[in-house]
Amino acid sequence: MCDVCGCHEHEHGHTHSHETRTIDVNQSLLKANEDAAVSNRKHFDEDGIFAINIISSPGSGKTTLLEKTIDALKNGINIGVLEGDIETDLDAERIRKKGVPAVQLTTGGACHLDSILVHKGFHSLEHSLNGKRLDVLFIENVGNLVCPSFFDLGEHLRVVLISVPEGHDKPLKYPKAIRTSHVLIISKTDLVPHFDFDMEKIKKDALSLNPSLKIIELSSKTGEGMDEWIEYIERLIHR
Amino acid sequence: MHEVSIALGMIDELMRIARDNNAKKVTGVKLKIGKMSGIVTDSLMFAFDAVKLEHPMLSSATILIEEVPLMYGCEKCNKTFETENLPFQSCPFCGSYSLKLLSGEEMHIENVEVDV
Repeated sequence: MCDVCGCHEHEHGHTHSHETRTIDVNQSLLKANEDAAVSNRKHFDEDGIFAINIISSPGSGKTTLLEKTIDALKNGINIGVLEGDIETDLDAERIRKKGVPAVQLTTGGACHLDSILVHKGFHSLEHSLNGKRLDVLFIENVGNLVCPSFFDLGEHLRVVLISVPEGHDKPLKYPKAIRTSHVLIISKTDLVPHFDFDMEKIKKDALSLNPSLKIIELSSKTGEGMDEWIEYIERLIHR
Repeated sequence: MHEVSIALGMIDELMRIARDNNAKKVTGVKLKIGKMSGIVTDSLMFAFDAVKLEHPMLSSATILIEEVPLMYGCEKCNKTFETENLPFQSCPFCGSYSLKLLSGEEMHIENVEVDV
């Protein structure tokens, strides 16, 4: 057998006609994800749903913020939630206790959600709605400040949380999360007195990476800053 | 480690391109990766070399990466400049803060070399 092409056809002395061609591609490395994200966004637009992707490190307070947001929004606004985690449906269970339909997306190891998983999750959420339509879809990403920023899920708004205990240096260390987000929520502001946290520096650094970033200081525990957050998203949901 | 997800997506895309072009084998891939893309090129190559082995059509493919520098253009004086610094302060020529990112966030497959 010829060990170049594996054929049995011929004795040696033949010439292999392997022609090498260069194919111009010029497309994103994330094309598959981007295509599915475009289709998700179209689907959300057609159904009049405003989709919000929430990203942060583990433990910044995404789920607690969602619970408080549901409490503040609930009347008159139909909310759906997709909960991303590596394992367990603990978070979806927390949301369902609020009377809001939630589907848990477990990535089984992957450190971020992608648009294909969101597409599937959204369909199972739709099935649980029995014809009721949603006004807003919250997608809580896997706790990770790096990888989720690469994956467009088809959302309209990306919100990144950085909590006070994480430190004011995070925007410079995780620039992509800041650059790809529309809103930065500085969470757990009730803890400022206990940490050497420089509020002016974090804002200045974040804006130097993304000048159009909306910054909201917020404590889910005390409710400080919640009004600003709720008014901000209510305006977007009703648009 | 988003590089593994990116490598898996890249493999699907390469298989599609190879099929569409009736290729026998993919021998090379040229990528353009911006310095500010957030992709660790060594991790991407490591991930690609690990997962490509599952696909005979790709098993001998090598990656060539062109790193794209971080370039800004000043909207006031129209000059361009290259920098290593992501959070910029101001234009080094006129001091303006009105700057536009020209390159450095690329994550592209530029071309694919195949045996037909």
